[in-house]
Amino acid sequence: MTEELARRIAVMVSLVERAPGKRLGRTAIMKLLYFLATLRNVNLGYRFSLYSYGPFDSEVLQDLDYAKNLSIISSRVVGYPSGYGYELEPGPDTTSARSFDARFLRQHESDLIWVINRFSRLSASDLELTSTIVYADREASGDTDINTLAQSVRDVKPHFSIQKISEWIGKLSGEGLLQSIH
Amino acid sequence: MPKSGGNYEFRCPVHGFIVLNDWEREIISHPVFQRLRRVRQLAWTEYVYPGATHTRFEHSLGVMHVATKVYESVVDRHKPVLVSEMSFNDDGLGRDKQLVRLAALLHDIGHTPFSHASEDLMPDRPNGRKYEHEHYSAALIRGPLRDVIENHPTCRNYGFKADDIAALIEGSATAKQSLFWREIITGQMDADRMDYLLRDSLHCGVGYGRFDLHRVISTVDVAVQADAGSPRLGISEGGWHAAESLVLARYFMFTQVYFHKTRVAYDVHLKEALSDILPGGQFPSPEGAHLDEFLAWDDWRVLGLLADGRGGEHGERLRKRNHYRQVYHTPESPTIVDLEHLKKVRAALGALVVSAQYASKSWYKTGAPDIPVVDDTKHRFARPLSEYSAVVRGLPSSNQVLLYAIPENAEAARVTAEKVIKRVHTIVERKTTGTKKPRVRRSLKRGGRRGGRS
Repeated sequence: MTEELARRIAVMVSLVERAPGKRLGRTAIMKLLYFLATLRNVNLGYRFSLYSYGPFDSEVLQDLDYAKNLSIISSRVVGYPSGYGYELEPGPDTTSARSFDARFLRQHESDLIWVINRFSRLSASDLELTSTIVYADREASGDTDINTLAQSVRDVKPHFSIQKISEWIGKLSGEGLLQSIH
Repeated sequence: MPKSGGNYEFRCPVHGFIVLNDWEREIISHPVFQRLRRVRQLAWTEYVYPGATHTRFEHSLGVMHVATKVYESVVDRHKPVLVSEMSFNDDGLGRDKQLVRLAALLHDIGHTPFSHASEDLMPDRPNGRKYEHEHYSAALIRGPLRDVIENHPTCRNYGFKADDIAALIEGSATAKQSLFWREIITGQMDADRMDYLLRDSLHCGVGYGRFDLHRVISTVDVAVQADAGSPRLGISEGGWHAAESLVLARYFMFTQVYFHKTRVAYDVHLKEALSDILPGGQFPSPEGAHLDEFLAWDDWRVLGLLADGRGGEHGERLRKRNHYRQVYHTPESPTIVDLEHLKKVRAALGALVVSAQYASKSWYKTGAPDIPVVDDTKHRFARPLSEYSAVVRGLPSSNQVLLYAIPENAEAARVTAEKVIKRVHTIVERKTTGTKKPRVRRSLKRGGRRGGRS
């Protein structure tokens, strides 16, 4: 296992263990890792790009599969009113991952706590929306305003109303998480 | 290239005729695209599968063809959903079809010589992460190809810019509504994958990699998921076995062809030889004037330099077909115990191991990119393919580690590795069965020592 992979898995395990009920959806972990990289500069070497379902890097899921093979993280199917999803929880060998990169985990403990507290309770739909807002914000060149940013997000995600997008932009901007809105 | 009814036709060994319009023909004739004739699709794979000499040129044409078929199938069968859920109109759909064709055609123009084998030699970006071939593709579209894209009379009918094609390839919010189609360019059921599996399978002459392309195309669907933000490309219930066969085709091609032990060894030699040849040990960046320097690198140039004796030790190994030999490998999906064994083997082999390679790949990704399967009911509920298919759900990712030695040391290294593993298995067996290590009689042992000294 490379150092980078060990670090990534250590962070994933830490996120799962800190999540409410020690459970985290696969969509959620993708977005939390994106937020960590973009909003807290926790560099794990992922390269996120935008899809209609929000920022995504297939390497995250590849690394998760690896952690699953090693029984460090378990995955189970859960039913939702609208379908099914996958939920992650600590696996039988999860303790072995704590030593993978303990120094990195200590160094970024506050970032991990922050991202869990701020985003882990959001629905998959809201995580998709908020992460797309942050992505569009980071791509916006120079200053922009709420309406322009909201429209650019709606162009990508036409299922959300401008009102809902604007509300989220207002919230995230108020917390100092956006760079293009002043 | 014969002309037929205002269009041009290429013969393709996989798809039959591939049709181009005049605009696309001009783009293909541009030196940036023609360079792909000199970039082999599978690097040094022909040393294992002699037929694998095909290039990124024919693959790119194939991807455009498949992307078009997928696009047309979606629009023909699901236009009402696209109109109601995505607010598309006829003009928008016509524009996006051409956009998808060009993005598919140009998605690989940024490849380094010998494709993926030399990608590790791309330089670092200012943020410390490496450039990838998509960055080069986007830079070439925005740079040297801009003129042929934007100043052709046909472009006026569609009203998009070179930046729109680059944005779709890169995955940028500036792609706007067209981002919906990105999964045709890059996703778990994308045109790239559908083409390379069939094409590589054909040229390698293997029976793996095949799936029912026409069934996949004819059952592509638009899934509207209640809890998700946007509609997604998916597949109708009648096509999920075809989608499943695509996943399995990929699994077999990777395990049997792309991760073949000798192919992996040649990738090592190629990368090391190139590292020796390239100024500073890496390719020029896609920024500014360096882009022209990058374009000068193709397979022909590298082969010429290798033929001239360049590339150091690894160049010599390529010239003499004297590749590293695999001496040990873990299972495809190693457990913690397998990784412990690997550690012991590596420690025992020491300097005999000259390279450790990781064959890592997930065959199917669940979560957000899971292919939605739209059921046959009037409600059109969407559930992920991994829910339908136990095979897809249960396919563990590959994380195999392969250890290599130079040919002269290969046999000794294999014997040592076998001894280590045998010892480990013996210890495990004793622990499991409760048997003890056979005792050696003290007197005999002493006698042996004495005898040894005399």
